[in-house]
Amino acid sequence: MSPSGSAVWVEGLTKTFYDEARGEVCAVDGVSFQCRPGEIFGLLGANGAGKTTTLRMLSTILRPSAGTAHLMGHDVVSEPAEVRANLGFYSASTALYPRLTARETLEFFARVNRYPKELVAGRVEELVHRFSIAEFQNARVEKLSSGMKQKVSIARTVVHDPPVLIFDEPTVGLDVINALEMQEVIRALKDEGKTIIFSTHIMSEAEKLCDTIAILHAGRILASGSLEDHRRATGKHYLEDIFVYYVRDGGADTGGVAPGADEPIGVLPAPES
Amino acid sequence: MRTSDILIIYFQELRSAARERSIVLNSVLLPIFLYPVMFWLIITGLTFAEGLAEGARSRVTVYGLPEEHHEVLDSLRVMNAVEVVEAAGTKAESEARLARGELDLIAEFFPLDEAILALPGNFEVSLVYDRSLERSRRARQRMQGVVERYRERWLSREAQGMAISREEIEGFRIARHDVATQQQLGTLLLSETLPLFLVIMVALGCFIPAIDTTAGERERSTWETTLTVAASRGSIIAAKYLYVATLGVLAGVLNVTAMFLSLGSVMKPLFSRAGDQFQFGLPGLAFPVMVLGTVALALFFAAAMMILAAFARTFKEGQGMVTPVYWLALIPLVLGRGTEATLTASTAAIPVANVAMMIRDAIRGVFLWPLVVETMLVEFGTVLLCLLLARTILNFEEFLIGSYNGSLWRFLRERFLRGRGTASVRP
Repeated sequence: MSPSGSAVWVEGLTKTFYDEARGEVCAVDGVSFQCRPGEIFGLLGANGAGKTTTLRMLSTILRPSAGTAHLMGHDVVSEPAEVRANLGFYSASTALYPRLTARETLEFFARVNRYPKELVAGRVEELVHRFSIAEFQNARVEKLSSGMKQKVSIARTVVHDPPVLIFDEPTVGLDVINALEMQEVIRALKDEGKTIIFSTHIMSEAEKLCDTIAILHAGRILASGSLEDHRRATGKHYLEDIFVYYVRDGGADTGGVAPGADEPIGVLPAPES
Repeated sequence: MRTSDILIIYFQELRSAARERSIVLNSVLLPIFLYPVMFWLIITGLTFAEGLAEGARSRVTVYGLPEEHHEVLDSLRVMNAVEVVEAAGTKAESEARLARGELDLIAEFFPLDEAILALPGNFEVSLVYDRSLERSRRARQRMQGVVERYRERWLSREAQGMAISREEIEGFRIARHDVATQQQLGTLLLSETLPLFLVIMVALGCFIPAIDTTAGERERSTWETTLTVAASRGSIIAAKYLYVATLGVLAGVLNVTAMFLSLGSVMKPLFSRAGDQFQFGLPGLAFPVMVLGTVALALFFAAAMMILAAFARTFKEGQGMVTPVYWLALIPLVLGRGTEATLTASTAAIPVANVAMMIRDAIRGVFLWPLVVETMLVEFGTVLLCLLLARTILNFEEFLIGSYNGSLWRFLRERFLRGRGTASVRP
């Protein structure tokens, strides 16, 4: 666990890039949040808000320019291998190896993510049945339909049984049925006690799934709390209205300070555990 | 870096490669079948061309043939392959017909000057033909053969008539005695071809895998998947590097094996038919030197190609970026033309070419050990430089996430000319 007992603990995380056209760009600007074990933490933001950059820093693909983050007590900068061993990362940009079969894919990810060697076969067998992969387990990934690939992708994300899972816009490009299946899987994983960080720009998904919702805009968290917290703070019922309230009426115009508030919005108290 | 991580990723790469048609073709099948197919094509082509040429009748016109040498004309007339065309009024007319392709050869006999003539009736022949045309060249060969055989018979008869020997009437002749053994001839052929093809094949063996495992991963969106596994960056890169080098070595070894088999079973009988006897074999010490050279080449090509291919976003971009490295494989072709040249202190300092020359020397049984050591130091030093460069590049996360848009120039400009970008060393 992190210093605060959270599964994920992020403090002042910042990422700046150099862009030839725009010069220095601050993609993530001092983001802080904590995820309690077993909760689904939602990062809600429009395209370009900084969700993927934040998650890439958490998964150690990118190094923070400033700030710190711990995952299951491991620092993302000084202990990247340990962080990755405790993490399952799923996103649209993490495709499967097309020439491996579904079963080989699961075996590979279990082994390379340091799942005990003697337990790999049993774990793969378990997931093959859980995600209904048995029928096509020996087919190469390149031959599978998108629905089948989705199942294998989720299975490979969880095959080493990591305590923390990151789903970066997992339903992008999926049809309604597959998107609903994905939501069910995420909910089931939460029920197993996994800590899940879930990024999306689809309000209904965040409403349905997330225990805590952080609204990210222009690299900053404008507000963070449960849906009820947001409703109380804004007087709005629907998340869509809440999001617009923060982003258009508050965050965007006032530099992250809500109307009538002295502090940046991202200070809503975390719900009691 | 953890050995177990490296091995897991290495075998995953090999397994994937075995299922990719282009990799299997370039790194396995081509090295095996290049020589047999190439030699078969050469033989078939030669046989076909020979058959065509043999089938075509040579149209020949003869001028000034002395009556006493009419046997030449008789010989020509009984040959199916030769058609004696009646001479035109003037030689110029015949030359015009030759230019138009209506004639293949004009043979003109001249009597020699009486003052210098030791043998009465001796003559000189002028053969006019068009070297740019196969059938005209073939006509010259046929005519020359007929005249030479006739001349031999005529000289022997004259010598007999004068009661002197055949040698006395000729004055002097040049006799050729080749002291080269069959083994030496075989060694010459091997040393001229094997090192050059070995270098090209090792480069070819690395080419597709180097692109596939870097640019190919970006294109398939599996690059980020790989970066999120628990193995360190160093382990991932080491596994990929070893995988590419392995296929380079494999291509080289298969190529050498295929060459021996092809030379023994295809080329040897062909040479024998042509009157040349070749024996193909290698000095025992040549094998370790060749293995060492092949490994060094594979490590070099793998590193150099991966560095460039890693900037590319697509397989196609990767091919364009890696091709210049592939050209390095042609350096030995340029530098190694002198068949007498052996490895020197200067040539041992030229990467790639030095290995080709070292292997050539080894095939010939020449082992200049200090220069072999220099060659290996230069080659492995180059590999080390490539790896250091790769490590430096990998420290830039913009490179890892593809921010340079497949442009090596953009990377160099932003990193080294403007000093921009973010360096991040990951254990």
